Amino acid sequence: MAEIKKPEQGVTRRDFLVRSTVIAGAGFFSIGLPGLVTGKEARAAVGGQSFTPSIWFTMTSDGKTTMHIIKAEMGQHIGTGMAQVIAEELEVDWNDVRLDIPLESVENFAIYGLAYTVNSGSITTEFDRLSRAGAAGRIALVEAGAKVLKTRVGNCYAQKSRVIDKVSGRSVTYGEILQKVQIDRKFSYPSDFRKVPLKKRGDYGIVGKSLPSLDVPAKTNGKAKYGIDVFLPNMAYGALVIPRTRYASNVISIDDSEARKIPGFIKAVKIDNALGKCTGWVVAVADRFPTAMKAAKALKVQYDAGPYAKLDSAELLKQYKALAKDEKQSAAWVLEGDVDEGFKGADKVFEVEYTTDMVCHATMEPLNATVQFTNGEWHVHIGTQSTSFARMTLTGYLSKVLDQKPEDLKIFVHNYLLGGGFGGKQDYDDILAAAYCVREVGRPIKLIHTRESNFATSFARTPTYHKLKAGIKNGELLAMNQDIVCGWMGARFGVGKKYGSDWLQLDSVDGKEQDIDQWSIGGSDHWYDVKNHRVRAWNHDATTWAVQASALRTVSNSYNIFVVESFMDEAAHAAGRDPLEFRLSMLNGKGGNRGIPNSGYKPGESSDYYMDRLWISLPWAQDDSWIPYESATVGGALRLANCLRIAAGKAGWGSKRLPPNTGLGIAVTAAEERQSPTWVAGVAEVTVDPKTGQFSINRLTIAMDPGTVVNPQAVDAQIRGSALWGASQIMTERLTLKDGRFEQSNYHQYTPIRLAQTPEIDVTIIASDNHPSGVGEPASTVVAPAVANAIYNAVGARVRHMPIAPEAVLQAMKRRA
Amino acid sequence: MPKLSINGQSYFSDAPPDTPLLWVIREDLQLTGTKYGCGISLCGSCTVHVNGQPVRSCAVQLGEVPDGAVITTIEGLDPADAHPVQKAWIEHEVPQCGYCQSGQIMQAAALLATNPSPTSEEIVQHMNGNICRCATYSRIVGAVQRAAELMKEDSNHG
Repeated sequence: MAEIKKPEQGVTRRDFLVRSTVIAGAGFFSIGLPGLVTGKEARAAVGGQSFTPSIWFTMTSDGKTTMHIIKAEMGQHIGTGMAQVIAEELEVDWNDVRLDIPLESVENFAIYGLAYTVNSGSITTEFDRLSRAGAAGRIALVEAGAKVLKTRVGNCYAQKSRVIDKVSGRSVTYGEILQKVQIDRKFSYPSDFRKVPLKKRGDYGIVGKSLPSLDVPAKTNGKAKYGIDVFLPNMAYGALVIPRTRYASNVISIDDSEARKIPGFIKAVKIDNALGKCTGWVVAVADRFPTAMKAAKALKVQYDAGPYAKLDSAELLKQYKALAKDEKQSAAWVLEGDVDEGFKGADKVFEVEYTTDMVCHATMEPLNATVQFTNGEWHVHIGTQSTSFARMTLTGYLSKVLDQKPEDLKIFVHNYLLGGGFGGKQDYDDILAAAYCVREVGRPIKLIHTRESNFATSFARTPTYHKLKAGIKNGELLAMNQDIVCGWMGARFGVGKKYGSDWLQLDSVDGKEQDIDQWSIGGSDHWYDVKNHRVRAWNHDATTWAVQASALRTVSNSYNIFVVESFMDEAAHAAGRDPLEFRLSMLNGKGGNRGIPNSGYKPGESSDYYMDRLWISLPWAQDDSWIPYESATVGGALRLANCLRIAAGKAGWGSKRLPPNTGLGIAVTAAEERQSPTWVAGVAEVTVDPKTGQFSINRLTIAMDPGTVVNPQAVDAQIRGSALWGASQIMTERLTLKDGRFEQSNYHQYTPIRLAQTPEIDVTIIASDNHPSGVGEPASTVVAPAVANAIYNAVGARVRHMPIAPEAVLQAMKRRA
Repeated sequence: MPKLSINGQSYFSDAPPDTPLLWVIREDLQLTGTKYGCGISLCGSCTVHVNGQPVRSCAVQLGEVPDGAVITTIEGLDPADAHPVQKAWIEHEVPQCGYCQSGQIMQAAALLATNPSPTSEEIVQHMNGNICRCATYSRIVGAVQRAAELMKEDSNHG
């Protein structure tokens, strides 16, 4: 068995860091803490909490700077964006910039912190820290450059990888500086780090530019490497036998007599279901993947079908409706004013039900994992949203399965490009199963899901049931109540006191014992000024487990914005007002909807539960609790109103002459969360065939205010892609459960949007000096309600379900007639 | 053992004849630019050219590949990775996650080889079998049109 090279730590241990080193004419300069093993390099440790610039980048005397990108690359071009932020303050020539992906290990985790890409949060949470890392590097280089130029530091400035003496005009390149002098400059973290002077937004030359994304060329010539493209010597392949149910079935027996007749078949491995993972999994291992697929089909597996064997989508909905009647089991997430009094005082009250179906990520790259055990080390090769959680999960699993102490397990996770993420690559069953096969077969294993097994083991977005009630008085929305029943995905990730932690977890606001999984309820806490507003939530626990509920692009916003924004239109019509004017009157930025001004954040005093917890502290820093960024909420609902005016205006709201059976619909969102809003408005122009109920989206108009824009063309790409993601969700995407299994198996039954269904998209990006918020997801949420509202305005059909089937449009038209 | 001509090189494959060409290309020969997406010709990620025609390599068995067939994968589309479609794809920054893009590019290149000035309707019709989950569609049509322009410029400059 060939061995893979040991990670180089201990081999090339050197003292770099804030300091640079000159060895045989080659200088290195790096920013960050030491002791970390990056893609191909090793750094030595200095210790303490000195700011010793290699976490974030490494500059070498050939003038190249490698940015170490801890966030997963799954289509957002995040590496380019993060590098732009560093390069801006570092004053490095963009042509000198390279990217690499740090290796995940216990040692590196202690330095980088949690590697986790989620919630459109990479730029939002890292912008400030990366800016300061770059600025600190520039300061150290300018000081060193002044020494080389034999002039005063105050005379020097940095530009395009050079330090320039503005008095004499002489200059020296960063590369030359590293060759000539040793830099030994320390910034304490966080105190010095926090004081590093940053550029004014108006002086930016790299941030705000549509620089070509560095990951793109390799994606046009076959050179880009995804997890599925990994090869290891003597590797065998694994294919999953589709389990009896999505979750919690058990393998009773395996008959491999037919599989054994297939040349190249190696073994049927019953995967240990420790920690409740990989339940009912049998993997066929073979020398080639097609053989493994064939063998997986030939295996005859008997199952105990488990507790969810009879569960189906219709039954779930029935249970949700019953649960919603039990107020004791609810917990309030929003409680403003007194809704019951509001309803009493209203002159018009209406109540409606909304439902949304399950959907799944269906990434083009099916889930896969390649695992090797060599020299006492486990190496995982994968494209994942969290190498850290991958390592931790495998550690927990193997310590149980192998009966070893976690600290005795040496696990390294190598991250690759992700062929799509969307929230679907933050579970690790495939790694566990591949590792288990490695143990059983004694060879490296590449486990690849077929499209069918990928669908069968999807991590679905929960189905949801909503009851909404509006009280209208004098044409105003006086009171609004939303009740939400669904499976709380957070439970699967251990979120919630009941499940072991209060991470990302909120107490109910009505004094109930329950805490609330914000990832299942968020989005209902809208930015409209409604005096009496209540949102109550119920957790349907069986759903969470039976469908392995998970996060899907914008998480709960993806259903709550559909519901809230459809309902707002209903309220507008009930109030006899124009839906645009109705919304604008409530997006007034009053009270809690004004946003938090920058001065509202004080180090250590943040009440910002979300950012505070999403902010990833660096494990080596003693005091990393300060909120390191400005507020993304500055301006509040007024920024949302601004987006809405722009989108509505550009779409011709109220002025465009539309063909018959054609309507415009509007919607707004402030996803991802109240504390990390990206302000988005969308208008859909939709034509409905009144005979069939078929509808087509002619045009989408999107206006987004994400604050500071790092790379406009990359933002444009994310807006377009996510808008079409939203279109796909409202048109056709639907995952259903029957007998505990998902019914859809491939792209003929689960049908993402195609080119021919793609409407024209008009994108407006409203850039400002405000703190940047995420752009990878939010626009996806406005399209579904905008389309639903457009259908109503076209033919008078109000469909309160996502996706919208043509039959539902017809039925709604009949109801109205 | 069947002999395959891929990107101008000869390969012998000892895979069983019912092995989909896709897996021979990407796992045995490690030409990983050709991607697995669905296995049943629904997504186009595995598109290669066989004698110039765009073909879903997941649906062609090794034993069905005609003798002497000329197979081209994304790695062999252009010796300098500078086919007009590739150039246009970079210029318009089409790829997001990029996983489906080899297939998209091979599909587009096959169109332009026979139809140097496609209308946008022809582009949509020709490309509709290729799914992009990131939905880069709104840049795809423009990039194909740009590639058509680049091809004309190339031929004008001779």
